[in-house]
Amino acid sequence: MKRIIIIALFLGSVLPALAQEKPKLYTIASPFERYTHYLATVRYTGAVPMGSFKDNYIDKSSFQNASISIEWVLRNSPLSVGGEIGSSYFEKRVPRALYEGEDGTISAVQTRTVSQYPVELFANYLFLPKNSTVQPYIQVSGGASILDYTIYYGTLSLQDQKVRFKYGVGAGSRFLFKRDGTFGLDVRVKYDGTAYKFDYIDKGISSVSGSIGLFYRWW
Amino acid sequence: MFKKASFLLLIVGLGLMSCSKDPISDLSNEESLVYITNHDQSANFSQYKTFSIVDSVLIVENNRAGTSLDEIDRAMLQRLITNMQNMGYKYVSKNQKPDVGINVSWITNTYLNVVSQPLSSYYGGYWGGYGYGSPSYYSYYETSESSWLISMLDFKNPQTTPSGKTFNVVWDAQIRGAAIGDQNLIDKMADSIFGQSDYLKIK
Repeated sequence: MKRIIIIALFLGSVLPALAQEKPKLYTIASPFERYTHYLATVRYTGAVPMGSFKDNYIDKSSFQNASISIEWVLRNSPLSVGGEIGSSYFEKRVPRALYEGEDGTISAVQTRTVSQYPVELFANYLFLPKNSTVQPYIQVSGGASILDYTIYYGTLSLQDQKVRFKYGVGAGSRFLFKRDGTFGLDVRVKYDGTAYKFDYIDKGISSVSGSIGLFYRWW
Repeated sequence: MFKKASFLLLIVGLGLMSCSKDPISDLSNEESLVYITNHDQSANFSQYKTFSIVDSVLIVENNRAGTSLDEIDRAMLQRLITNMQNMGYKYVSKNQKPDVGINVSWITNTYLNVVSQPLSSYYGGYWGGYGYGSPSYYSYYETSESSWLISMLDFKNPQTTPSGKTFNVVWDAQIRGAAIGDQNLIDKMADSIFGQSDYLKIK
Protein backbone atom coordinates (compact mmCIF):
# COMPACT_ATOMS: atom_id res chain seq x y z
CA MET A 1 0.00 0.00 0.00
CA LYS A 2 2.79 2.31 0.95
CA ARG A 3 4.44 1.61 -2.33
CA ILE A 4 1.32 2.56 -4.28
CA ILE A 5 1.12 5.82 -2.43
CA ILE A 6 4.72 6.55 -3.23
CA ILE A 7 4.15 5.79 -6.92
CA ALA A 8 1.02 7.91 -6.92
CA LEU A 9 2.88 10.74 -5.31
CA PHE A 10 5.69 10.37 -7.80
CA LEU A 11 3.33 10.40 -10.75
CA GLY A 12 1.43 13.24 -9.17
CA SER A 13 4.54 15.28 -9.08
CA VAL A 14 5.90 14.25 -12.47
CA LEU A 15 2.81 14.19 -14.67
CA PRO A 16 1.78 17.78 -14.09
CA ALA A 17 5.35 18.71 -14.78
CA LEU A 18 5.20 16.83 -18.11
CA ALA A 19 1.89 18.39 -18.87
CA GLN A 20 3.37 21.79 -18.26
CA GLU A 21 6.41 20.94 -20.36
CA LYS A 22 4.34 20.23 -23.47
CA PRO A 23 3.20 23.75 -24.46
CA LYS A 24 6.80 24.84 -24.07
CA LEU A 25 7.78 22.68 -27.06
CA TYR A 26 6.16 25.24 -29.31
CA THR A 27 8.05 28.10 -27.85
CA ILE A 28 11.56 26.79 -28.39
CA ALA A 29 13.31 27.86 -31.55
CA SER A 30 13.14 25.78 -34.72
CA PRO A 31 16.04 23.41 -35.36
CA PHE A 32 16.90 25.59 -38.35
CA GLU A 33 17.63 28.39 -35.91
CA ARG A 34 19.36 26.25 -33.34
CA TYR A 35 21.66 24.20 -35.56
CA THR A 36 24.00 24.74 -38.43
CA HIS A 37 22.00 23.27 -41.27
CA TYR A 38 22.38 22.48 -44.94
CA LEU A 39 20.70 24.10 -47.88
CA ALA A 40 20.73 23.03 -51.52
CA THR A 41 19.52 25.26 -54.36
CA VAL A 42 18.87 24.56 -58.03
CA ARG A 43 18.72 27.65 -60.22
CA TYR A 44 17.67 28.46 -63.76
CA THR A 45 19.35 31.61 -65.04
CA GLY A 46 18.97 34.21 -67.74
CA ALA A 47 22.09 36.27 -68.43
CA VAL A 48 22.85 39.54 -70.19
CA PRO A 49 26.38 40.14 -71.54
CA MET A 50 28.19 43.25 -70.27
CA GLY A 51 31.11 45.51 -71.04
CA SER A 52 33.62 44.78 -73.78
CA PHE A 53 32.45 41.16 -73.99
CA LYS A 54 29.12 42.55 -75.12
CA ASP A 55 30.63 45.20 -77.40
CA ASN A 56 33.18 42.99 -79.12
CA TYR A 57 31.82 39.48 -79.11
CA ILE A 58 28.29 38.57 -78.04
CA ASP A 59 25.53 41.01 -77.20
CA LYS A 60 22.73 38.50 -77.17
CA SER A 61 21.14 37.45 -73.88
CA SER A 62 21.29 33.83 -72.93
CA PHE A 63 18.68 31.60 -71.38
CA GLN A 64 20.69 28.40 -71.39
CA ASN A 65 22.17 28.64 -67.94
CA ALA A 66 21.68 26.64 -64.78
CA SER A 67 23.46 25.97 -61.53
CA ILE A 68 23.28 23.98 -58.36
CA SER A 69 24.67 24.99 -54.99
CA ILE A 70 25.01 23.51 -51.58
CA GLU A 71 25.75 25.48 -48.42
CA TRP A 72 26.08 25.46 -44.67
CA VAL A 73 23.86 27.96 -42.91
CA LEU A 74 25.96 28.68 -39.85
CA ARG A 75 24.59 28.72 -36.30
CA ASN A 76 25.09 31.89 -34.27
CA SER A 77 26.21 33.79 -37.34
CA PRO A 78 24.41 35.67 -40.11
CA LEU A 79 26.54 33.86 -42.68
CA SER A 80 26.20 30.85 -44.89
CA VAL A 81 29.04 29.40 -46.94
CA GLY A 82 29.04 26.84 -49.72
CA GLY A 83 29.90 25.83 -53.23
CA GLU A 84 28.15 26.26 -56.55
CA ILE A 85 28.67 24.65 -59.93
CA GLY A 86 26.92 25.66 -63.06
CA SER A 87 26.77 25.88 -66.79
CA SER A 88 26.43 28.99 -68.87
CA TYR A 89 26.33 29.43 -72.61
CA PHE A 90 26.36 32.47 -74.86
CA GLU A 91 25.85 32.32 -78.60
CA LYS A 92 25.44 34.78 -81.44
CA ARG A 93 25.05 34.33 -85.17
CA VAL A 94 26.54 37.03 -87.37
CA PRO A 95 25.24 37.11 -90.97
CA ARG A 96 27.72 36.72 -93.81
CA ALA A 97 30.38 39.41 -93.69
CA LEU A 98 33.95 39.99 -94.83
CA TYR A 99 36.83 39.68 -92.39
CA GLU A 100 40.24 41.01 -93.35
CA GLY A 101 43.11 39.06 -91.87
CA GLU A 102 46.71 38.08 -92.44
CA ASP A 103 45.58 35.16 -94.56
CA GLY A 104 43.47 37.31 -96.82
CA THR A 105 39.82 38.16 -96.95
CA ILE A 106 37.39 35.73 -95.40
CA SER A 107 33.72 35.78 -96.21
CA ALA A 108 31.67 33.71 -93.80
CA VAL A 109 28.69 33.41 -91.53
CA GLN A 110 30.09 33.60 -88.01
CA THR A 111 28.69 31.67 -85.09
CA ARG A 112 30.20 32.97 -81.88
CA THR A 113 29.97 30.87 -78.73
CA VAL A 114 31.29 30.78 -75.18
CA SER A 115 30.47 27.98 -72.77
CA GLN A 116 31.48 28.13 -69.15
CA TYR A 117 31.33 25.63 -66.34
CA PRO A 118 31.99 27.71 -63.24
CA VAL A 119 33.03 26.02 -60.00
CA GLU A 120 32.79 28.51 -57.15
CA LEU A 121 32.90 28.95 -53.40
CA PHE A 122 30.62 31.59 -51.97
CA ALA A 123 29.59 33.34 -48.76
CA ASN A 124 26.15 34.80 -48.12
CA TYR A 125 25.29 37.42 -45.55
CA LEU A 126 21.75 36.92 -44.28
CA PHE A 127 19.86 39.98 -43.11
CA LEU A 128 17.09 38.29 -41.15
CA PRO A 129 16.85 35.37 -38.70
CA LYS A 130 17.20 31.91 -40.23
CA ASN A 131 13.54 31.07 -39.98
CA SER A 132 11.90 34.16 -41.39
CA THR A 133 9.79 33.40 -44.43
CA VAL A 134 11.53 36.09 -46.43
CA GLN A 135 15.29 35.88 -46.24
CA PRO A 136 17.24 38.52 -48.19
CA TYR A 137 20.96 38.00 -48.66
CA ILE A 138 24.02 39.37 -50.39
CA GLN A 139 26.69 37.15 -51.87
CA VAL A 140 30.33 37.14 -52.90
CA SER A 141 31.83 34.25 -54.80
CA GLY A 142 35.10 33.22 -56.37
CA GLY A 143 36.43 30.19 -58.18
CA ALA A 144 37.38 28.78 -61.50
CA SER A 145 35.59 28.70 -64.80
CA ILE A 146 36.21 25.82 -67.18
CA LEU A 147 35.59 27.65 -70.39
CA ASP A 148 35.37 26.92 -74.07
CA TYR A 149 35.62 29.66 -76.69
CA THR A 150 34.58 28.41 -80.11
CA ILE A 151 34.02 30.66 -83.06
CA TYR A 152 32.73 29.14 -86.28
CA TYR A 153 33.35 30.52 -89.74
CA GLY A 154 30.70 28.61 -91.63
CA THR A 155 31.43 25.09 -90.46
CA LEU A 156 35.11 25.72 -89.75
CA SER A 157 35.93 26.39 -86.16
CA LEU A 158 38.52 28.06 -84.02
CA GLN A 159 38.52 26.78 -80.47
CA ASP A 160 40.24 27.66 -77.23
CA GLN A 161 39.71 25.84 -73.96
CA LYS A 162 41.00 27.22 -70.68
CA VAL A 163 40.42 27.22 -66.96
CA ARG A 164 40.30 30.79 -65.67
CA PHE A 165 39.65 32.70 -62.45
CA LYS A 166 36.13 33.96 -61.99
CA TYR A 167 34.30 35.96 -59.35
CA GLY A 168 30.83 37.19 -58.68
CA VAL A 169 28.77 39.49 -56.48
CA GLY A 170 25.09 39.08 -56.02
CA ALA A 171 21.99 39.90 -54.04
CA GLY A 172 18.91 37.82 -53.64
CA SER A 173 16.22 36.56 -51.41
CA ARG A 174 14.78 33.27 -50.32
CA PHE A 175 11.10 32.72 -49.73
CA LEU A 176 10.00 29.77 -47.62
CA PHE A 177 6.83 28.13 -48.84
CA LYS A 178 5.73 27.68 -45.25
CA ARG A 179 7.05 28.80 -41.93
CA ASP A 180 9.60 26.36 -40.56
CA GLY A 181 9.27 24.39 -43.80
CA THR A 182 12.04 22.82 -45.83
CA PHE A 183 11.26 24.00 -49.37
CA GLY A 184 11.32 27.48 -50.79
CA LEU A 185 11.91 29.78 -53.69
CA ASP A 186 15.17 31.59 -54.38
CA VAL A 187 15.65 34.65 -56.58
CA ARG A 188 19.04 36.19 -57.22
CA VAL A 189 20.66 38.86 -59.33
CA LYS A 190 24.38 38.39 -59.85
CA TYR A 191 27.29 39.96 -61.64
CA ASP A 192 29.84 37.48 -62.95
CA GLY A 193 33.32 38.20 -64.27
CA THR A 194 35.84 35.79 -65.76
CA ALA A 195 39.43 36.75 -66.50
CA TYR A 196 40.01 35.71 -70.10
CA LYS A 197 41.69 37.02 -73.19
CA PHE A 198 41.58 35.40 -76.63
CA ASP A 199 40.70 36.40 -80.17
CA TYR A 200 37.71 38.76 -79.92
CA ILE A 201 37.70 38.85 -76.13
CA ASP A 202 40.18 41.38 -74.79
CA LYS A 203 38.92 42.27 -71.30
CA GLY A 204 37.31 39.17 -69.89
CA ILE A 205 33.80 37.81 -69.93
CA SER A 206 31.27 39.69 -67.84
CA SER A 207 27.54 39.35 -67.47
CA VAL A 208 24.63 40.16 -65.21
CA SER A 209 22.25 37.34 -64.58
CA GLY A 210 18.92 36.86 -62.94
CA SER A 211 17.95 33.48 -61.63
CA ILE A 212 14.99 31.76 -60.15
CA GLY A 213 15.54 28.67 -58.07
CA LEU A 214 14.17 26.12 -55.72
CA PHE A 215 15.85 25.29 -52.42
CA TYR A 216 15.64 22.51 -49.91
CA ARG A 217 17.06 22.68 -46.42
CA TRP A 218 17.74 20.02 -43.85
CA TRP A 219 19.69 19.44 -40.66
CA MET B 1 23.27 12.92 -45.41
CA PHE B 2 25.67 15.60 -46.47
CA LYS B 3 27.83 13.03 -48.22
CA LYS B 4 24.85 11.84 -50.16
CA ALA B 5 24.05 15.39 -51.16
CA SER B 6 27.59 16.03 -52.36
CA PHE B 7 27.41 12.90 -54.44
CA LEU B 8 24.15 14.08 -55.95
CA LEU B 9 25.77 17.43 -56.65
CA LEU B 10 28.59 15.66 -58.46
CA ILE B 11 26.16 13.71 -60.64
CA VAL B 12 24.21 16.83 -61.54
CA GLY B 13 27.52 18.55 -62.23
CA LEU B 14 28.58 15.85 -64.65
CA GLY B 15 25.16 16.09 -66.22
CA LEU B 16 25.64 19.80 -66.79
CA MET B 17 29.09 19.23 -68.26
CA SER B 18 27.99 16.58 -70.70
CA CYS B 19 25.33 18.73 -72.35
CA SER B 20 26.95 19.04 -75.74
CA LYS B 21 25.95 21.87 -77.99
CA ASP B 22 25.90 21.99 -81.74
CA PRO B 23 25.47 25.65 -82.55
CA ILE B 24 25.98 25.24 -86.30
CA SER B 25 23.46 22.50 -86.93
CA ASP B 26 20.96 25.07 -88.21
CA LEU B 27 23.28 26.55 -90.86
CA SER B 28 21.96 26.23 -94.39
CA ASN B 29 24.22 24.85 -97.13
CA GLU B 30 24.81 28.35 -98.44
CA GLU B 31 25.60 29.68 -94.95
CA SER B 32 28.13 26.93 -94.34
CA LEU B 33 30.36 28.13 -97.16
CA VAL B 34 33.52 30.07 -96.36
CA TYR B 35 35.33 32.09 -99.02
CA ILE B 36 38.94 32.97 -98.41
CA THR B 37 40.71 35.15 -100.96
CA ASN B 38 44.22 36.51 -100.97
CA HIS B 39 46.35 38.41 -103.43
CA ASP B 40 49.88 39.57 -104.06
CA GLN B 41 49.88 43.11 -102.67
CA SER B 42 52.51 44.20 -105.14
CA ALA B 43 50.70 42.92 -108.20
CA ASN B 44 49.27 45.51 -110.56
CA PHE B 45 46.28 43.85 -112.15
CA SER B 46 45.74 46.53 -114.78
CA GLN B 47 48.78 45.20 -116.68
CA TYR B 48 46.87 42.01 -117.51
CA LYS B 49 44.47 41.94 -120.41
CA THR B 50 43.88 38.31 -121.35
CA PHE B 51 43.34 35.09 -119.48
CA SER B 52 42.95 31.41 -120.04
CA ILE B 53 41.68 28.64 -117.83
CA VAL B 54 42.49 24.96 -117.35
CA ASP B 55 40.33 22.53 -119.32
CA SER B 56 39.52 20.36 -116.34
CA VAL B 57 39.65 20.42 -112.58
CA LEU B 58 42.71 19.07 -110.84
CA ILE B 59 41.78 16.64 -108.10
CA VAL B 60 44.34 16.48 -105.34
CA GLU B 61 43.77 13.92 -102.67
CA ASN B 62 46.57 13.69 -100.16
CA ASN B 63 49.52 12.73 -102.37
CA ARG B 64 47.56 11.56 -105.39
CA ALA B 65 46.44 13.80 -108.20
CA GLY B 66 44.27 13.47 -111.31
CA THR B 67 41.84 15.49 -113.35
CA SER B 68 38.11 15.51 -113.54
CA LEU B 69 35.51 17.17 -115.75
CA ASP B 70 32.09 16.18 -114.59
CA GLU B 71 29.01 18.35 -114.52
CA ILE B 72 29.94 20.27 -111.40
CA ASP B 73 33.50 20.91 -112.62
CA ARG B 74 32.24 22.19 -115.95
CA ALA B 75 29.77 24.48 -114.20
CA MET B 76 32.55 25.89 -112.03
CA LEU B 77 34.92 26.50 -114.96
CA GLN B 78 32.16 28.16 -116.97
CA ARG B 79 31.17 30.48 -114.15
CA LEU B 80 34.79 31.46 -113.49
CA ILE B 81 35.14 32.45 -117.16
CA THR B 82 31.98 34.55 -116.94
CA ASN B 83 33.28 36.30 -113.84
CA MET B 84 36.71 36.99 -115.35
CA GLN B 85 35.04 38.47 -118.42
CA ASN B 86 32.86 40.66 -116.20
CA MET B 87 36.02 41.90 -114.52
CA GLY B 88 37.26 43.04 -117.92
CA TYR B 89 39.64 40.26 -118.98
CA LYS B 90 39.55 38.74 -122.44
CA TYR B 91 39.24 34.96 -122.68
CA VAL B 92 41.81 33.43 -125.02
CA SER B 93 43.02 29.90 -125.61
CA LYS B 94 46.18 28.80 -123.85
CA ASN B 95 48.14 28.94 -127.15
CA GLN B 96 47.52 32.65 -127.52
CA LYS B 97 49.90 33.61 -124.69
CA PRO B 98 47.40 34.69 -122.03
CA ASP B 99 48.64 37.20 -119.45
CA VAL B 100 47.19 35.19 -116.59
CA GLY B 101 46.09 31.60 -116.18
CA ILE B 102 43.39 30.28 -113.88
CA ASN B 103 43.99 26.99 -112.11
CA VAL B 104 41.13 25.16 -110.51
CA SER B 105 41.64 22.33 -108.05
CA TRP B 106 39.56 20.26 -105.71
CA ILE B 107 41.67 19.39 -102.71
CA THR B 108 40.89 16.72 -100.19
CA ASN B 109 42.95 16.32 -97.09
CA THR B 110 42.44 13.19 -95.10
CA TYR B 111 43.79 13.04 -91.62
CA LEU B 112 44.36 9.76 -89.90
CA ASN B 113 43.76 9.81 -86.20
CA VAL B 114 45.00 7.07 -83.96
CA VAL B 115 43.60 6.01 -80.63
CA SER B 116 45.78 3.71 -78.64
CA GLN B 117 44.26 1.01 -76.46
CA PRO B 118 47.32 -0.25 -74.63
CA LEU B 119 47.07 -3.40 -72.60
CA SER B 120 48.61 -2.75 -69.22
CA SER B 121 51.24 -5.14 -67.94
CA TYR B 122 49.52 -4.90 -64.58
CA TYR B 123 47.22 -7.79 -65.40
CA GLY B 124 50.21 -9.92 -66.34
CA GLY B 125 51.06 -10.05 -62.66
CA TYR B 126 47.45 -10.50 -61.65
CA TRP B 127 47.04 -13.67 -63.68
CA GLY B 128 50.21 -15.23 -62.32
CA GLY B 129 52.99 -13.67 -64.33
CA TYR B 130 52.91 -13.83 -68.08
CA GLY B 131 53.67 -11.48 -70.91
CA TYR B 132 51.39 -10.40 -73.70
CA GLY B 133 52.08 -11.95 -77.07
CA SER B 134 50.19 -9.25 -78.93
CA PRO B 135 51.09 -5.61 -79.33
CA SER B 136 48.95 -2.76 -78.05
CA TYR B 137 45.82 -2.23 -80.05
CA TYR B 138 45.11 0.87 -82.01
CA SER B 139 41.89 2.18 -83.46
CA TYR B 140 41.94 4.41 -86.47
CA TYR B 141 39.43 6.94 -87.60
CA GLU B 142 39.62 9.27 -90.52
CA THR B 143 38.51 12.83 -90.95
CA SER B 144 38.64 14.52 -94.29
CA GLU B 145 37.92 17.96 -95.60
CA SER B 146 37.66 19.12 -99.19
CA SER B 147 38.00 22.56 -100.62
CA TRP B 148 38.08 24.34 -103.96
CA LEU B 149 41.30 26.16 -104.67
CA ILE B 150 41.30 28.65 -107.52
CA SER B 151 44.50 30.46 -108.31
CA MET B 152 45.60 33.06 -110.82
CA LEU B 153 49.09 32.65 -112.28
CA ASP B 154 51.10 35.54 -113.68
CA PHE B 155 52.28 34.34 -117.12
CA LYS B 156 53.36 37.84 -118.10
CA ASN B 157 56.22 38.07 -115.62
CA PRO B 158 57.76 34.60 -115.28
CA GLN B 159 60.49 34.11 -112.72
CA THR B 160 63.62 32.46 -113.96
CA THR B 161 65.14 30.05 -111.50
CA PRO B 162 67.93 27.52 -111.95
CA SER B 163 65.33 24.77 -112.29
CA GLY B 164 63.43 26.58 -115.00
CA LYS B 165 60.62 29.08 -115.36
CA THR B 166 58.10 29.54 -112.56
CA PHE B 167 54.97 31.62 -112.43
CA ASN B 168 53.84 33.60 -109.41
CA VAL B 169 50.40 33.18 -107.97
CA VAL B 170 48.98 36.69 -107.87
CA TRP B 171 45.53 35.82 -106.53
CA ASP B 172 43.98 32.79 -104.97
CA ALA B 173 40.65 31.80 -103.57
CA GLN B 174 39.64 28.94 -101.33
CA ILE B 175 36.09 27.76 -100.98
CA ARG B 176 35.52 25.65 -97.91
CA GLY B 177 32.57 24.30 -95.99
CA ALA B 178 30.16 21.41 -95.90
CA ALA B 179 28.31 22.29 -99.10
CA ILE B 180 31.11 22.87 -101.62
CA GLY B 181 29.87 19.94 -103.71
CA ASP B 182 26.38 21.38 -104.04
CA GLN B 183 25.77 21.93 -107.75
CA ASN B 184 23.11 24.58 -107.10
CA LEU B 185 25.59 26.74 -105.26
CA ILE B 186 28.41 26.67 -107.82
CA ASP B 187 27.44 29.98 -109.44
CA LYS B 188 27.11 31.60 -106.05
CA MET B 189 30.58 30.33 -105.05
CA ALA B 190 32.27 31.66 -108.17
CA ASP B 191 30.44 35.00 -107.94
CA SER B 192 31.34 35.37 -104.28
CA ILE B 193 35.10 34.96 -104.62
CA PHE B 194 35.21 37.58 -107.37
CA GLY B 195 32.69 39.76 -105.54
CA GLN B 196 35.05 40.16 -102.60
CA SER B 197 38.10 40.81 -104.80
CA ASP B 198 37.38 44.21 -106.28
CA TYR B 199 41.07 44.88 -107.01
CA LEU B 200 40.85 42.38 -109.89
CA LYS B 201 38.61 44.70 -111.84
CA ILE B 202 40.38 46.23 -114.85
CA LYS B 203 37.52 47.95 -116.59
